[in-house]
Amino acid sequence: MNNVPQAVARCVGILMIASPLAAAQVLVGRTAAPPDISGEWVLETSEDQGQLGGLQPAPDDYLGVPFNDAGRMRSDTTAESIWGMWYYQCRPHSAPHQWRGLGGARILSELDPLDRSIRAYRVQFWRSLDRPIYMDGRAHPPAWAPHTWTGFSTGEWVGNTLVVQTTHLKDGFLRRGGPQTSDMLTMTEFLTRHDDTLTVVQVTDDPVYMDEPFVQSTFYHYDPTTRVNMESCNAATFAESGGTDPHFVPHHLPGRDLFIEEWLPSENWIPFEAVRGGVRTVYPEYRSTLDGSANAADLDVPSSSTHLAARDRVQAQSPRDGQVHVLPVQGNLYMLVADGRNLAASVGPEGIMLVNTGPAEMTGDILRTVTELADRAAAARPNACAGAQCPGVPGWSSPYTNAVISSPAPARGLRYIMNTNAAPHNVGGNAPLADAGEGRGGRAAVIAHENALIAMSGPLDDPWSTDADAWPTESFYSDIYKLTSYFNGEAVLAYSTPATTDGDSIVYFRHSEVIAAGDIYSTVSYPRIDRARGGSVGGVIDGLNRILDLAVAEYRSQGVTWVIPGRGRLSDTADVAYYRNMVQMVSDRVQALIDEGLSLEQVQAARPTMDFDPRYGADTGDWTTEMFVEAVYGSLTE
Amino acid sequence: MKRNVLLAMAFGALLTGTAAYAHHSYAATYDVEQSLRLEGQLVQFALRNPHSYLHISAPDAEGNVQRWAVEWSGAGALSRQGVSRDTLRSGDEIVITANPSRVRGEFRALMVTLERPVDGLTWGTRPGEVVD
Repeated sequence: MNNVPQAVARCVGILMIASPLAAAQVLVGRTAAPPDISGEWVLETSEDQGQLGGLQPAPDDYLGVPFNDAGRMRSDTTAESIWGMWYYQCRPHSAPHQWRGLGGARILSELDPLDRSIRAYRVQFWRSLDRPIYMDGRAHPPAWAPHTWTGFSTGEWVGNTLVVQTTHLKDGFLRRGGPQTSDMLTMTEFLTRHDDTLTVVQVTDDPVYMDEPFVQSTFYHYDPTTRVNMESCNAATFAESGGTDPHFVPHHLPGRDLFIEEWLPSENWIPFEAVRGGVRTVYPEYRSTLDGSANAADLDVPSSSTHLAARDRVQAQSPRDGQVHVLPVQGNLYMLVADGRNLAASVGPEGIMLVNTGPAEMTGDILRTVTELADRAAAARPNACAGAQCPGVPGWSSPYTNAVISSPAPARGLRYIMNTNAAPHNVGGNAPLADAGEGRGGRAAVIAHENALIAMSGPLDDPWSTDADAWPTESFYSDIYKLTSYFNGEAVLAYSTPATTDGDSIVYFRHSEVIAAGDIYSTVSYPRIDRARGGSVGGVIDGLNRILDLAVAEYRSQGVTWVIPGRGRLSDTADVAYYRNMVQMVSDRVQALIDEGLSLEQVQAARPTMDFDPRYGADTGDWTTEMFVEAVYGSLTE
Repeated sequence: MKRNVLLAMAFGALLTGTAAYAHHSYAATYDVEQSLRLEGQLVQFALRNPHSYLHISAPDAEGNVQRWAVEWSGAGALSRQGVSRDTLRSGDEIVITANPSRVRGEFRALMVTLERPVDGLTWGTRPGEVVD
């Protein structure tokens, strides 16, 4: 035993002598670099093992979360059972929680095979999808691009710390079974390696539900002897809520279903106020309230607002900038954002189909944009093969040779316009765009539900009345309308969905897997229910359920069937499910208040939409929160 | 001997620890302080991950027959306890005690015990038979 110190000393001595030599050798062919963070990282204790020493997180526990009132209400009313809905089964755990979830993390480095620079890191957790962190300098997508469970991350080394910015995340939670986040959150993460310890500092900024960013740090240790698995998950074709209604939305009613009393009495060292979260409870100043000498409401804490206002971040998805923005979607489909109104465009060898024509003042820009898309689709492309390597007939008659030696056929023009209802912002360009198109009589065909035609051909003093040139040339009254022939290689179907008006429909491109939802669905506002034109909240819920019945996810509640909303960002099933849940929850809350005998004014004063208002509401403009609640109330009492 | 007992306890704690690893939070989903008894006919047994489900047709508190979704352990855990795909068959008359959902209007519950009177099959009565 006495020889141990001597042995250590000998080793240190040898290392001291050897290290300069080693360093000199190592530098040949090497360069200084940030620490390598790739590998297997193990978390000592995860959040999944619960707070307060229990095995499961305590319900309604928001300790340390700088919640605003909306965030608290959103969390109180969100049922954990939503995991069992069709659309959410096997969804990954939420991004802000992942660093503290079970299983630890794997970080992979993706190197450029030519220059060996790091192009991306890929982070994998047990219950996540692959999360790339791009290091190649690419920009973040526009605000109207889809949100995903892992978001869009870019990274940059600052000294020995990797700084990661993440946007485009879906809604989720900060901790399991508890505090919820909106889909407007962003994250900034700082990853620093010290020997075999990785420190992750995570700043979650959710301007919808928090008064200031939520900061957490987590420590990992390096362990190359184990690896993180992928959680096995088999979704089922039945909802886990039981019953026979596949569209059942589990939720709690505000103020009625609080579960704090189940556990807080046995943890009475925690003040009730602190359990409910809030910016004044997360600073040391809060201690002065514990002996009753101060009130939390009076504390002057050094709080800061989140760095981006919620409404600005929401409205960025639907910019009213007088521009037409193009987002390629899938297959033949493009989403056009025309001064904040979304159009769908099918562009291909058989011409152009537009779903809606946008506001009248945008017609010129829309026509120019779709014509450019069509020209691009028809333009000559370099051959992908040569001579006998090409399939088909070789030689002079080969279409591949012809593509090189001749000019391609001109692009086909606009042949079909489909209107999802008769609202002026959807039919504003019908007449001039149909005139600029091609088809029978030298015009594009205009197709809509017959109730849309009735609205457009109504009394002249009705603001939805239009000139006859804008009217549908073909209307349908049945539940389903099928375009009589394939167009651009796919079936196009319209489903009658009386929702915001009695003339609403959605359009489904069956091969491209894209649904144009029209006004039923928006990511920036409550549904604009026009009761005078036959709209109802029940109709909106049915319409959204129709979309959910048609749409499928590629994997784990994400992707594949893309849904183009009337306004806002491109979406998938999980996004539509979130919106449907919101409308159903508001409807149920208003119904519960009606059952208590409350008048419209009393219902509005009760603020049944309070938790969703920072996300979808408006105090001014032509569709306010007050008007939405009135429409819901009217739908349920008529 | 004492050491073996401690080892067994530690192993048991490990097993119990896995009870926290559900995909969603049980405590937030179910009222584990409450219990309900369902007596009815098995409609479907989905042996899967991360949780298995029994669908049974049984009356609710008002006597209306409902389709109940009863959450059970994942396929791996159940197989270690001897439950396989053909342990239960559609049409079996079964009796279940379970923790009810916290959500009004949901016909969902968390399995506590299961009994099939016709042959005396039981689950949930032996050590370790808890939903993970």
